[in-house]
Amino acid sequence: MSGKQIIAIALIIALLVLLALLPMVIKAEYSINLAVLVLLYLGLAASWNILGGYTGQTSLGHAAFFGLGSLTTRLLWLNAGWPFFPSLLAGCGAAVALALLIGWPAFKLRGVYFAIGTLALAQVGNATVANLWPAISSLPAEYLATYQLAPRYYLFLVVAVLTVATAYFLVRSRLGLGMMAVREEEEAAESLGISAFRHKLLALVVSAFFAGLTGGAFAFHFTAYYPQFPFAPTWTFDAMMMAYIGGVGTIVGPIIGALFFVVTRELLVLTLQGVQFVVLGIEVSLEDLHLTVFGLLFILVVLFLPGGFVEAWGKIRPVFERRTKVKEVSLAS
Amino acid sequence: MPTLVAQNLAFGILMGGLYGLAAVGLSLVFGVTKFLNVAHGELLMLGGYASFWIFTLRGVDPFLSLPAIAVLLVLIGLILYTLLFSRMVKLPEADKIKNTLLVGFGVSLILQNLALLFFTADDRGITTSYAGKAFTLLGVRFPIVRVASLAIALVCLVALHFFLRRTYTGKAIRATVEDWEAATVMGINIQQVYLLAFVISAGMAGMAGALVAVCQSIVPTMGLDWTLIALVVMVLGGLGNILGTFVGGIALGVTHALTNIWPGGEYREIVALLLFLVVLVSRALGLFGSKEG
Amino acid sequence: MITLEGIDAHYKDLQALWNVSLQVGEGELVALVGPNGAGKTTTLKVISGLLKPTAGNVLLDGRSLVKEPAHKIVQMGISQVLEGGRVFTELTVLENLELGAFGAKARKVRAESLKWVYSIFPRLEERQKQRAGTLSGGERQMLAIGRALMARPRLLLLDEPSFGLAPLLVEQIFEMITEINRQGVTILLVEQNVRAALELTDRAYVIENGRIVGQGSGESLLSFESVRTAYLGSAGG
Repeated sequence: MSGKQIIAIALIIALLVLLALLPMVIKAEYSINLAVLVLLYLGLAASWNILGGYTGQTSLGHAAFFGLGSLTTRLLWLNAGWPFFPSLLAGCGAAVALALLIGWPAFKLRGVYFAIGTLALAQVGNATVANLWPAISSLPAEYLATYQLAPRYYLFLVVAVLTVATAYFLVRSRLGLGMMAVREEEEAAESLGISAFRHKLLALVVSAFFAGLTGGAFAFHFTAYYPQFPFAPTWTFDAMMMAYIGGVGTIVGPIIGALFFVVTRELLVLTLQGVQFVVLGIEVSLEDLHLTVFGLLFILVVLFLPGGFVEAWGKIRPVFERRTKVKEVSLAS
Repeated sequence: MPTLVAQNLAFGILMGGLYGLAAVGLSLVFGVTKFLNVAHGELLMLGGYASFWIFTLRGVDPFLSLPAIAVLLVLIGLILYTLLFSRMVKLPEADKIKNTLLVGFGVSLILQNLALLFFTADDRGITTSYAGKAFTLLGVRFPIVRVASLAIALVCLVALHFFLRRTYTGKAIRATVEDWEAATVMGINIQQVYLLAFVISAGMAGMAGALVAVCQSIVPTMGLDWTLIALVVMVLGGLGNILGTFVGGIALGVTHALTNIWPGGEYREIVALLLFLVVLVSRALGLFGSKEG
Repeated sequence: MITLEGIDAHYKDLQALWNVSLQVGEGELVALVGPNGAGKTTTLKVISGLLKPTAGNVLLDGRSLVKEPAHKIVQMGISQVLEGGRVFTELTVLENLELGAFGAKARKVRAESLKWVYSIFPRLEERQKQRAGTLSGGERQMLAIGRALMARPRLLLLDEPSFGLAPLLVEQIFEMITEINRQGVTILLVEQNVRAALELTDRAYVIENGRIVGQGSGESLLSFESVRTAYLGSAGG
């Protein structure tokens, strides 16, 4: 192993240790909740990235898996009285089952039709859950009494680390190479004997698994919410934007994106709190402006800097980040 | 019971015209430029709000302000296209489709957020002096605002149909839809054709929004719902087929009406989307005539 | 009249043309021949502006075309008939022809241009109200050429006009091409049917693998081993 690699691994271990120690050092609930939020978004963005970034299939239905994982876990845990971890696993299972079910018809849809098809599917989920479980799901009193933030934090930390680690190893495997080949030139990949469908399905299943896992963690963390909430399209859209702004198709991209999103939102809310002005006789308070800012950044990234922060960094210091491009790696084997 | 069915169907058909108008712009843009403008619903929303504010602040009847709404949305479409979408025209096919999808989505987010900021999250509706009036035919009530909306939608669609069929510019647009390279070597400026399709689409969406404000209600978050409606109608009606889009709209309206009866109004969106998915996948499998995509 | 100097062209990362140079003088009828995939269509696209070269220059009467958008190049007098004709099947024959005169200048003389095209291709006048999709292969090719002529081009770029046509039709099309040239339109003709192209034209360029390997008048080209063996062996293209 090269010196650089040893340093990199040491840094990552150090970072993980720091993250593990965080709740013991920082007691403020507000801060830990922020960290939880970052990890939640990271899980969503990194899982979306596996299908959308590495395999190039822009799915707009990611929330379906997040929501299904969350719903299954919550129902089994609170309503059916299962212990938490089996419920969590069942949630992942449900998400994976859904992915397997829709995989074949979904990938018959090409390009833009795939995107709107997945969007339609997630919306079906959203509306169906809203109809079947319209009441708020609340943590029962005894759970509320013993509610502790730290375990939630650790769960999200483990989920996020697992997601990123899986993405990392998947990308470096032959399967990952195949996925990226499908992204770059699907027909060329097929002619090399790479089954586009199998790789896309694999990416979808892995992506769904981790979205479902994140959903289960969501079910564990949030005390009261409408069961349809995790099915809302904003979860897909936010995850997608984070992946793009950070650097789509990279490992660190979703990390940067999630951090940036949460930090910027907090900063905007804090600095713009109470800032109001009157436009055309209407009172406008700026603290809700963060989505507009994000939307603008997102558009700028898509138009001018498709690699996001990672590309920007790469232009400044081409040392550490490597966007693994298929063309630079030999496909022959 | 039969009156209930008939009443629901009547409402469905009346709304169907509006659905068709909402969809035709999206269909036109998609057919011509191959972009799917996911911000289409937000353009419709803006049209609705423009009409609402003109009515509330200046007392102008929403049917009379329609031309102004159309012009306003054409201008907004012009700005959006020139600033954003025109930059992506030169990209290779796959990138073009993906990037326009993403940018459109960014635009929809911004417009929705700004609308929430400025207009608040309250439902709004335009209630004119004649809002409650209706005429009754065979025991079925036909509210005149809805009948007028259907009529206007029909007029717009027919006008667009004739524009595309009979005018020189319209034929240039159709030529571009079929084969843009062949169109280019005849001196047709593709950028201009794309721009024209985009602004017409925005204008139509805006007018549809104004009519929605009168017939139903508007809210800043309505964009996604209406984009989905437009998508469903577009897929049902067939791309680039103006009159087909009208029929598709009616079909969706009728589907909504029947869903109202059973299993119930809350399932309208679900049934429509499932129908959409079935048609989409069937077409992709070649079960339904020409393959999409 | 038109000169290509040192043209390199790429499709994404794939290079298609290397240092291509050629010239067509006013009133000439010149052929560009070569096997499939040699870069003939690519060369035409560089001239008409559908593909921008990565190196080199395209000069029309000394004026560089490389920076001009394709639709402007048409207005400067260069019309291309794409491979396979590519008529607009949903529109009628007449509508196709009318669209051919899209530019302002051409639009003014549209009626006369139509008469001219009908005089060369009387079959088109017979079928003018029919949808182009209902025409036979030969008629579509005629329509495609007629459509390009509606722009009153000074230079006509023809991409494989004989492709997929029966030999009798090929002869007819070639007669019409000769007639068009006789009436003053400069023509650059791309053909796989080398024998016919060489009989038809004043001179020809031979292109292989994206490079011009030779040029000359009909007979002198037969001295090219590649021209002889590879192409003359396959009778009728």
